[in-house]
Amino acid sequence: MADIFRTRIRKSLADENLQSALDANAEKRIKVRHAAFESLEDSQASRARAHQVRADVIEQLDRYLDEFTSHAVANGIRVHHAADADEVVKIILKIASQNGAKLIAKAKTMVSEEIGLNHALEKHGLQVVETDLGEYIVQLRGEPPSHIITPAVHLRRQDVGKVFEEKLGLPYTEDISIMTNAARRTLRQVFLESDIGISGINFGVAETGTLCIVTNEGNGRMVTTLPRIHIALMGIERIVPSMDDLSLMLSLLPRSATGQKLTVYTSLINSPQRADDPDGPHERHVILVDNGRMAVRGTELREILFCIRCGACLNACPVFREIGGYAYVSRDGDGSPYSGPMGSVVSPALFGHCEFGHLARASSLCGACKEACPVDIDLPKLLLRVRAGYGVNQAKNNAKSNAPRILKMGLGFFTLAAISPRRFTIAQKLAGIFGSVATLVSKGDPWIRLPAFSGWGYSKDFPRPASKSFRSRYFQQIKGGENQEEIASHGNASTANLSNPETLSPSNNDIVKKFSEEVEALGAKYYSCSPDKVREKILELLRAHGVQEILAWDGKYLPDGLIEWLTDAGVQIVYPRSDNILTSSRIKAGLTGASAAVAETGSLLLLEAPGQPLTASLLPEIHIVLVWKKDVFQSLNQVLEMKAVKHASAAVLITGPSRTADIEMTLTIGVHGPGELHIICIE
Amino acid sequence: MPTTVQLFVTCILDTLYPETGEAVVRVLERAGVRVSFPPNQTCCGQPAFNAGLRPQARKMAIQTICAFEPYPGPVVVPSGSCAAMIRHSYAELFSDDPKWKARALALAERTYEFSEFLVDVLGITDLKARWEGKISYHSSCHLLRDLGVDWQPRALLAEIHGAEFIELPQTSDCCGFGGVFSVEHPEISSEMLKRKIANIDLTGASVVVSCDAGCVTNINGGLHRMKKPPRAKHIADILDKV
Repeated sequence: MADIFRTRIRKSLADENLQSALDANAEKRIKVRHAAFESLEDSQASRARAHQVRADVIEQLDRYLDEFTSHAVANGIRVHHAADADEVVKIILKIASQNGAKLIAKAKTMVSEEIGLNHALEKHGLQVVETDLGEYIVQLRGEPPSHIITPAVHLRRQDVGKVFEEKLGLPYTEDISIMTNAARRTLRQVFLESDIGISGINFGVAETGTLCIVTNEGNGRMVTTLPRIHIALMGIERIVPSMDDLSLMLSLLPRSATGQKLTVYTSLINSPQRADDPDGPHERHVILVDNGRMAVRGTELREILFCIRCGACLNACPVFREIGGYAYVSRDGDGSPYSGPMGSVVSPALFGHCEFGHLARASSLCGACKEACPVDIDLPKLLLRVRAGYGVNQAKNNAKSNAPRILKMGLGFFTLAAISPRRFTIAQKLAGIFGSVATLVSKGDPWIRLPAFSGWGYSKDFPRPASKSFRSRYFQQIKGGENQEEIASHGNASTANLSNPETLSPSNNDIVKKFSEEVEALGAKYYSCSPDKVREKILELLRAHGVQEILAWDGKYLPDGLIEWLTDAGVQIVYPRSDNILTSSRIKAGLTGASAAVAETGSLLLLEAPGQPLTASLLPEIHIVLVWKKDVFQSLNQVLEMKAVKHASAAVLITGPSRTADIEMTLTIGVHGPGELHIICIE
Repeated sequence: MPTTVQLFVTCILDTLYPETGEAVVRVLERAGVRVSFPPNQTCCGQPAFNAGLRPQARKMAIQTICAFEPYPGPVVVPSGSCAAMIRHSYAELFSDDPKWKARALALAERTYEFSEFLVDVLGITDLKARWEGKISYHSSCHLLRDLGVDWQPRALLAEIHGAEFIELPQTSDCCGFGGVFSVEHPEISSEMLKRKIANIDLTGASVVVSCDAGCVTNINGGLHRMKKPPRAKHIADILDKV
């Protein structure tokens, strides 16, 4: 039996700080998820469609992986295949040694946690720095993440203050914005100096070979833009067939994970820096990591491969809420990066039934996980299959249940009784006699106090069995027709037949209005301007912030004469490129255009292109964006379907200012990306 | 309008709460149907299924299928989780056995949870029941999420004469029962139950109604241990009072 597991459970339950952190997490996360889904039209239909998409991907995984690979390779991305942890490490070490790399900046990737990448690379002399704020905090503490989305969910601000004092020399503070700022400064150096950026992948798009990464802080953009080499780790199941499917998944993932319509940064990466691109890494690699996934595909647990790692099931789970991520340990006490309901299936499926199968027993099968799952994975069904012993290397017809021996025995006897009505009746009579004796002993109390080791008696009493069962009473009594007062039927409740109001396509004015509302709700500033007033507006913003020097796109891609006018007004203009990143990084404001905007999410689309460096929208603290009114579209899929998104070496959807909620779920604006976003919509 | 229903009383009601079983019969009769009790019924097999003991669960499922096959008409089950077991989990249990799967599905098709049957099939919400005082309602997990039954018991409770209905905060949070879970993981189960009881205390209701005797047993067992009045009741016990 998993005694270490039980010890961990008790430890979690006794930890008051953890309990209050987990309570706050559950309450907040469930609330924001519900609120976010309210803005999604027919979310149940979206879930059903997403389930179908994921099922199709897993069904035809080989075909989709080939398609993805051929497009990615054609785009100039180097694609590697890794069967297991060792192969991943070998591939990365080879890339590192070929390039004389020493420092690696890492964005959050659960696959890397799964294979223990940091330790393996550190053993070979590489320095690996986690750059997601939550991951950075737990790395400083020498801990693994305790939640797949919010790694430091188990910590309080005091814990973070202490570790920052110890490891960064920051005077002890409980002010989250000061701590976040300190992390920003330290990690900015890491971004600028690192030789390699390692990231995970949220989705790989088969039809285009596009890599999609969603982050809020901007660290994901940094590690995929600044270092010379970008290596992405991707679990082989993280494929979506098309851009349309990606748009569906993006409507579900951020809503489920953090209650956002879209994360602040949605990066869409197609290739390394091209000859005429101003910035971006020179090499991009994707490592397709199997690590047991193909084997799971052939088992009764294959549906768990549909998972898109949103963490909603963890937040919804009443068991996770009690015990937290660290309690989900193997028989030997080893942690798994995947906890909660999905983890209780993924861990036994990928890392061994024998080691992790007991986790699936720590569930009341209440179904809150299935209800929360954006791709409608039947998690209770899968948990039950793990309990029954199904999984890798377990032929279904001789699968062995992992029930504790005593439970097996007890239920064995129960089954013997239940398959014979005669024996069942005898058993009930014995129980009835026991109940009567117990009542005598307890002087009439109809409750029995069972010992704690029985499980039930730990915190509950048990009702005494009736001296006469229902069936014996039923068969003794002659049922008469008394009391048969018929009650008039009310008829089936009529279901209101709501007429479907015709959906009128909204006018551009309505769309722009929606866009401005979404943008302001995200904490960005919105201004509407006639073309001739744009330059004064920009200058006014720069003066208000005391800014004299800005990063800017090439004037060709901004309104005519704007750059010249700003220069004449005394503003110094720097055009960021790969070779002046260090200088560029110190400049306080950035001025860019946008290729398009999305009204429903309040997002801006920026594409890497000649004259349009992505770093101008990433490095500064203040980002000023110009967008033409005609370029504001209603929905995300309209924008994702644009040809330019597929053809640019990289693109990003920016949805509000950079932010994090990694410390005590307190929203803090301005982590790695700009903390101020000013959007000027040109009429 | 069905004239005779087959009652699957469930092993918990049969053994622990025969009076509730009789209340179920009376309420159904009051609603205008005849109630028959197929004598070979025992347990649907859910405890073994949840424990992961599928061969044993299959044996009990076969016992149940055979017990009801000779008796036509709707099968009424006063338990959300037992009804869900038959309606959904039997198909999983016999996924490799087409013969038994077909027989299981035939039973599943005519199986209804008690409140669902009263409201959806008979179209009745007002059973002329009377209860003085504040009542609240705990949404049992399998009833709510597996069968999608929620407004039906609420509609029945809304029509109870004399009662004031108080919404239970976090009503759809699990009470911590979960069958074998509550004995395998009493530490976690106990914490979940504490939350449920704290919410029940908030309502100030004298009765918390549930459609599942498992939840009733769990909640009352916890209340009794905490020296509080065990005030969870099966819905049939409330509807039975006139």
